[in-house]
Amino acid sequence: MTTQTLSIAGQHLELHPSGVIYWKEQAALLISDVHLGKVTHFRKFGAAVPHRAIEQNFESLDQILFHFRPGTVCFLGDLFHSSMNSEWHRFEAWVKKTEARFLLITGNHDIISPLKYEALGITLVPELLWGPFLLTHYPEEREGYFNLSGHIHPAVRLRGHGRQSLRLPCFFKNKHQLILPAFGAFTGSHILEKSQEDEVYAIADAAVIKI
Amino acid sequence: MKKSPPYSIAEDWFHTQGWTPFPFQKKTWEAYLEGKNGLLNAPTGSGKTYALWFPIVLDYIRENPDYRKKHSKGLKAIWITPLRALSQEIRQSAERIIEDLGLPLTVGIRTGDTSTRERSAQRKSMPDLLITTPESLQLLLATKGYPKTFRDCRAVVVDEWHELLGTKRGVQMELALSRLKMIAEKMRIWGISATIGNLEQARQVLLGPESEAYHNSVMIRARLNKNIRVISIIPEEIETFPWRGHLGLRLLDRVIPIIRESKTTLIFTNTRSQCEIWYQKILERYPELAGEMAMHHGSINKDTRIWVEEAIRNEELKAVVCTSSLDLGVDFAPVVSVIQIGGPKGVARFMQRAGRSGHRPGKESVIYFLPTHAIELVEASALEQAVAKNAVEDRIPYLSSFDVLVQYLTTLAVSEGFLPSEIYREIKSTFCYQGITEDEWRWLLNFLVMGSQSLQSYDEYKKVEVDADGRLVVNNRGVAMRHRFQIGTIVGDAHLTVRYQKGGYIGSIEEYFISKLTPGDVFTFAGRNLEFIRVKEMQALVRNSTKKTNKVPSWMGGRLTLSAQMSQLLREELYSANLPVSERSEAIRCLDPIFRRQEQESLVPGPDTFLIETFKTRDGYHHIFYPFEGRFVHEAMGSLLGYRVSLLSPITFSLAFNDYGFELLSDQEIDIQAIIDNDLFSTAYLLDDLQKSLNSTEMARRKFRDIAVISGMVFTGYPEKGVKMKHLQSSSQLLFEVFKDYEPDNLLFLQAYRETFEHQLEEGRLRLALERIGRQEIVWKPCSKPTPFSFPIITDRLREKMSSEKLADRIKKMTALLMK
Repeated sequence: MTTQTLSIAGQHLELHPSGVIYWKEQAALLISDVHLGKVTHFRKFGAAVPHRAIEQNFESLDQILFHFRPGTVCFLGDLFHSSMNSEWHRFEAWVKKTEARFLLITGNHDIISPLKYEALGITLVPELLWGPFLLTHYPEEREGYFNLSGHIHPAVRLRGHGRQSLRLPCFFKNKHQLILPAFGAFTGSHILEKSQEDEVYAIADAAVIKI
Repeated sequence: MKKSPPYSIAEDWFHTQGWTPFPFQKKTWEAYLEGKNGLLNAPTGSGKTYALWFPIVLDYIRENPDYRKKHSKGLKAIWITPLRALSQEIRQSAERIIEDLGLPLTVGIRTGDTSTRERSAQRKSMPDLLITTPESLQLLLATKGYPKTFRDCRAVVVDEWHELLGTKRGVQMELALSRLKMIAEKMRIWGISATIGNLEQARQVLLGPESEAYHNSVMIRARLNKNIRVISIIPEEIETFPWRGHLGLRLLDRVIPIIRESKTTLIFTNTRSQCEIWYQKILERYPELAGEMAMHHGSINKDTRIWVEEAIRNEELKAVVCTSSLDLGVDFAPVVSVIQIGGPKGVARFMQRAGRSGHRPGKESVIYFLPTHAIELVEASALEQAVAKNAVEDRIPYLSSFDVLVQYLTTLAVSEGFLPSEIYREIKSTFCYQGITEDEWRWLLNFLVMGSQSLQSYDEYKKVEVDADGRLVVNNRGVAMRHRFQIGTIVGDAHLTVRYQKGGYIGSIEEYFISKLTPGDVFTFAGRNLEFIRVKEMQALVRNSTKKTNKVPSWMGGRLTLSAQMSQLLREELYSANLPVSERSEAIRCLDPIFRRQEQESLVPGPDTFLIETFKTRDGYHHIFYPFEGRFVHEAMGSLLGYRVSLLSPITFSLAFNDYGFELLSDQEIDIQAIIDNDLFSTAYLLDDLQKSLNSTEMARRKFRDIAVISGMVFTGYPEKGVKMKHLQSSSQLLFEVFKDYEPDNLLFLQAYRETFEHQLEEGRLRLALERIGRQEIVWKPCSKPTPFSFPIITDRLREKMSSEKLADRIKKMTALLMK
């Protein structure tokens, strides 16, 4: 595992190849766009997406929580992809056995009733001001804060000699904000064009590499 | 036999028209009335519709002697056409007979264009003769009570069977016929096909190999020998003729005298974009032709197309620029000249187009061939040979297309439900599924009912259920509705309809093209310059523009490959460049300056040499190989060789190819001697190596797109219906990735690879090509600059990639490049 640690406003953020950020000072794990329930939603409507992809999401979550042992887990939106389905019960079981404080910044996909989340002890907020950071689902710029967000599922396209090209999910950073890649196993990605001021940290196998 | 067949009725009718029936027509009547099934091999416009409408009608007369007084209701015959545009014409010929003979029969059409009202009227009372498409026939099978509808049907005619044969729509037909055979016991099955290389096989696929229907069948050939003359348009100055390109506009002026001298000229282009450009450019340079010239291609709206077809018939047009949309059906007697722009890539297609001219028995057909770049002149010459030798290609039928089977089984589950044991016997009798194993069958049923091998208690997979009698049924209305919708979707790239903002349909364009436009951009479409405003739902909204533009929509579907026969003729023509001048064809003689140029740096290969060229440009190190086998084989051979080279040392390539050869482009130089020394063109471990080349995954990923849609795993949405299905949309790409990671033994996922090898990579041809190379002497020519042969390849922008370098190393290199 090769990670990258950024120092922003005096705080240390570790970018991990699983697509999460670990905020050292607060022992907080930031995870974006897990899209739980998506596989089940598709299956419910007759599209036989492999069942194994569901377990993969929970296995990845377990691994990353075991690795960092965070005090707080903050989801940056699109935690649950669809309306209620049976995968919710799988999620409930997972939350109950996991020791951490859970926060969810609601995204456009999070349409399940807040009461359901609150019953699990998960706090829902539309956005979160935390230290020097503004945590949101949609990327935005706000005076005086550095924005951490998701929603876009950023990826980068690299080109090389011999007209080669590669597409990799990435952390996408500019002066005021940092966008996280999608964590979920059954999510796509969207290519962003890198400009001079942007910094891109691509995920290549088990490493985060600065482009 | 009940009574003597009433041929005289048909013959009399022909005589009143002032015609005499052709022997093939009489033979078909006879065979049909004897109760035979069959395949009729007859070209477009030969009177093939009368060959089969007549016996259907005569059969009715024979069975209902008091037909003038009494009319027994219900469906009696189905006529399948691959193109709904042809249905009107088929209807007219049927109605003509019925009216003249005073029969009480009704004729109906049921296609995607049929209104909901008419469709439900048909459901209540079917017309006696129904003209429909393979998709609409499937939809009928998805309707409750279908066995009753078809019970008394006595004939199915599959028109233009050659067009369906090598496609999944053909598989749909095989499946539908396997069902109809069981429910309509007296049904005869007839196909009509143009000449293809594997006509006998075509009959087997239609009727089912070893089936009763096949054993009780005949093959009838029209044998209307027509002379075809190919005239190549040879550039006056080959020195300035482009080495690459696909438009052919350089020779535009040479087309004009042909148009002027003929009553009507059809100008065939290979792609719709090329069609648009030619139309524009001719008008720009010869504005006097405005009003006398039109355009015809598949994306133009139906009314315009019908108008064009009528105008050709009425001799109102001097010229029509068109695509394969005018290949089928529609008889235009007045067409005098046909021009083919660029290589038609297939002999059958070329001959069919040629047949458009001199469209009367006994008349000579003339087709002009206009090359779009210098090397294509070799193709011109090869085409002349091919036509002389009647070297038409095969249409390869699909085998074990599980996606179509999943769709079909769902169709049956939606309407009446089905018993697996019963349907298994039926599908096993088709050509496509003759090799299906019981394991595969069980897997498919499991997939339908449980969504593959899921045993999780909280799984909510819902599609097909098993009822108390053991029938597989769909109970969920949503599933049924989505499925019916999906059947009608002709698979291809996603299309957007193009409309004026104020209303008015113009045509449809691939989403891929629209996605590259930004609002305000102007593009040419349907002969007009249009400004792109925005995308709304599945529509691209536009307004007219007076701005000039060079943006023309491209259609990915336009990429064809050379057939095996054509490739061989092409090689022979090329080899003739080494012969004395007197033994060369005119096109090859004219290419002489190019060949001399080629020889300065490299050589023109003969039958015993396999040429490899290498040189360096700003783009990197080019390594070019010339098998002359067509683009699909080159794609395969390129990936294979690339993979094998990459085993020698870590390296990354991009691959480009055309019909003549392929290129491996890299930032490192490949040691060609090592390729020769290590025998990298060997056929040993061929399949294994192909599978491992990264490229096959990329190709399978593309194949998977259709498979995912056909099998119902990707829902394409309800265009223009505004139904919100947002949370159900996913790309087949994404789905492909999850299957790769979590369910690599899924039969539909594996099918993508199998199709890649069988249909895309043409593994069989690849093996033969490698064996041929094995017998040739490999000649490696290091060059100082690109050669004429290499030019069309290295400038191809559509490329495949492959790599054996570590991801991190590749990124490092690319990053270093970014910093420079």
